Amino acid sequence: MSIIEVKDLSFTYGINTPFEKKAVDDVNVCFNEGEVIGLIGHTGSGKSTFVQMLNGLIKPTSGQVLLEGKDIWEKPKEIRKIRFKVGMVFQYPEYQLFDETVYKDISFGPRNKGLNENEIDLTVRKAAKFVGLSDKLLNKSPFDLSGGEKRRAAIAGVIAMDPDVLVLDEPTAGLDPKGREVLLAQIMGYHKERKNTIFFVSHSMEDISRIADRVMVMNKGRLEMFDTPKNIFAQVEKIESMGLRVPQITKIITMLRERGYDLTDGVLTVEQAFSEVVNLLKREGVI
Amino acid sequence: MSFISVENVKFSYDEDKNYVLNGLNLKIEKGEFVALLGHNGCGKSTAAKLLNAMFIPDEGVVVVDNMITSDEKLTYEIRRNVGLVLQNPDNQLVASVIEEDVAFGPENLGVPPEEIRSRVNVALKMVDMYEYRTHAPHKLSGGQKQRVAIAGILAMKPRCIVFDEPTAMLDPNGREEVMNTIQVLKELGITVVLITHYMDEAVMADRVVVMDNGNILTAGTPREVFSQVNLLKKHSLDVPQATELCYKLSGVGLKFDKMPLNTEECVEFLEGVLK
Ligand SMILES: Nc1ncnc2c1ncn2[C@@H]1O[C@H](COP(=O)(O)OP(=O)(O)OP(=O)(O)O)[C@@H](O)[C@H]1O
Ligand SMILES: Nc1ncnc2c1ncn2[C@@H]1O[C@H](COP(=O)(O)OP(=O)(O)OP(=O)(O)O)[C@@H](O)[C@H]1O
Ligand SMILES: [Mg+2]
Ligand SMILES: [Mg+2]
Repeated sequence: MSIIEVKDLSFTYGINTPFEKKAVDDVNVCFNEGEVIGLIGHTGSGKSTFVQMLNGLIKPTSGQVLLEGKDIWEKPKEIRKIRFKVGMVFQYPEYQLFDETVYKDISFGPRNKGLNENEIDLTVRKAAKFVGLSDKLLNKSPFDLSGGEKRRAAIAGVIAMDPDVLVLDEPTAGLDPKGREVLLAQIMGYHKERKNTIFFVSHSMEDISRIADRVMVMNKGRLEMFDTPKNIFAQVEKIESMGLRVPQITKIITMLRERGYDLTDGVLTVEQAFSEVVNLLKREGVI
Repeated sequence: MSFISVENVKFSYDEDKNYVLNGLNLKIEKGEFVALLGHNGCGKSTAAKLLNAMFIPDEGVVVVDNMITSDEKLTYEIRRNVGLVLQNPDNQLVASVIEEDVAFGPENLGVPPEEIRSRVNVALKMVDMYEYRTHAPHKLSGGQKQRVAIAGILAMKPRCIVFDEPTAMLDPNGREEVMNTIQVLKELGITVVLITHYMDEAVMADRVVVMDNGNILTAGTPREVFSQVNLLKKHSLDVPQATELCYKLSGVGLKFDKMPLNTEECVEFLEGVLK
């Protein structure tokens, strides 16, 4: 069954002001339990607005978000509960970090869940390790961290909450390439074990193509495409017309195909491209 | 003498002398486009803030066009010369209307009002945010804020711009536009320092400098630096996918004159091999 169902969902900022802006425009979609959903789209296409409606941070102007079949705004007073079920890492980690130390910040979720001190400590350290945050940073103020360290601290806070639905808005922005790689692997590992539903908003087509089961493409507030990464990134022209790009490696293979070389389409990773090209080189007798 | 010269700089955020920068040496020539890479927390943003006198070294000196940054009387003049686009645009956006925000820098420099108006318009058009000029900065999407922050520095017309991860929140198109803007700045003779975690942006620089724990690990042309695939990976960095593919192919016996760094070079190389 679908864990989240979105019906006729719209959101308009600044209603009845000169700056009225329809940020999400009549989106209808269902997500299966345990899916990893990638979310891409041009700057200002409505991605952050959309995911903030999934955990009740902002209230739809019209339409509904059903979590396990129930409208999350059915009892507005209980909306805070939803935020523990649907945990969210914000696009700018500064919006999320608030406590005096990184440690206290990460312990907020587990403490609210009623864990004892011992369990809290374990959870915090595990979450810090998950995101590659060294122990010596735990006692620092979150505001005295580098950009990438802040990002890691914010993600750790939500991982420690262990929500059923995990929403990550640009979680790899500002991470160094290895941090990005490790975080993706960690999230995939966690997902395999926990089997929770994950939303992953990103401008990195490389990351999306590696992690997502299905990809939503938003364009000017509308849901333009929703399909597997392979099918989405096979449509190079359509993707480029919406201000996006396919991964560099996909582009390379597509260009070679256009020049008449016999390679499979829908290549998304360097590993796939490597084996495709090696096979071609063998067939052509180059190696 | 170099336009900017960082000499044996040590810098710490606390009294205990836990040096974040530990004897850093870096020279930047007039008109050069330098990409600055390195793992999270290695000191890139700290170094950036030393370049425009936001921070003063604990030891060593930073000299900008013959002006030493520790001389307070020169701070204003140094900031006129070196503009810094901060890593988090929220720390930079101050006014309640976008065009006022972009005008803030030139106003502080005493630029006449008519000229400010034209600079603001040009800068906002360059980052494709002109339509939004009367909106409030805090009511923008993440990537839109990043664009406005860039416009604010462009409008000051400094001789050098230091961009601290300007594309982290931008869509692929927006990233390409920022890289085009940097090319335009370069043609105008403006010196550019670009801090980034995107290797495909760094390959466009004249010179790539890789930092590691408060010091410089390696530096050189993009081709020199990105040919060292193993060294980069060992220090939390990477190479563009095009380079990675070719590097892997060298493992099955393909030979290179020069390491491909982008899509076009990679396709050209493979076509050459396949004849
Ligand atoms: N608080 C706000 N008030 C008014 N308009 C807003 C507000 N936040 C966002 N908007 C507008 O709504 C639209 C969608 O913004 P949103 O943040 O959802 O985009 P996004 O897809 O997440 O973009 P990005 O990739 O840049 O983060 C944009 O045009 C933006 O200007
Ligand atoms: N305001 C501060 N107070 C104390 N320590 C700080 C402060 N800002 C940064 N640091 C520390 O200094 C080191 C270098 O930080 P800096 O921000 O220069 O790194 P960076 O290379 O820009 O990293 P990133 O890629 O994550 O942005 C980090 O270990 C960080 O924790
Ligand atoms: Mg966003
Ligand atoms: Mg930084």
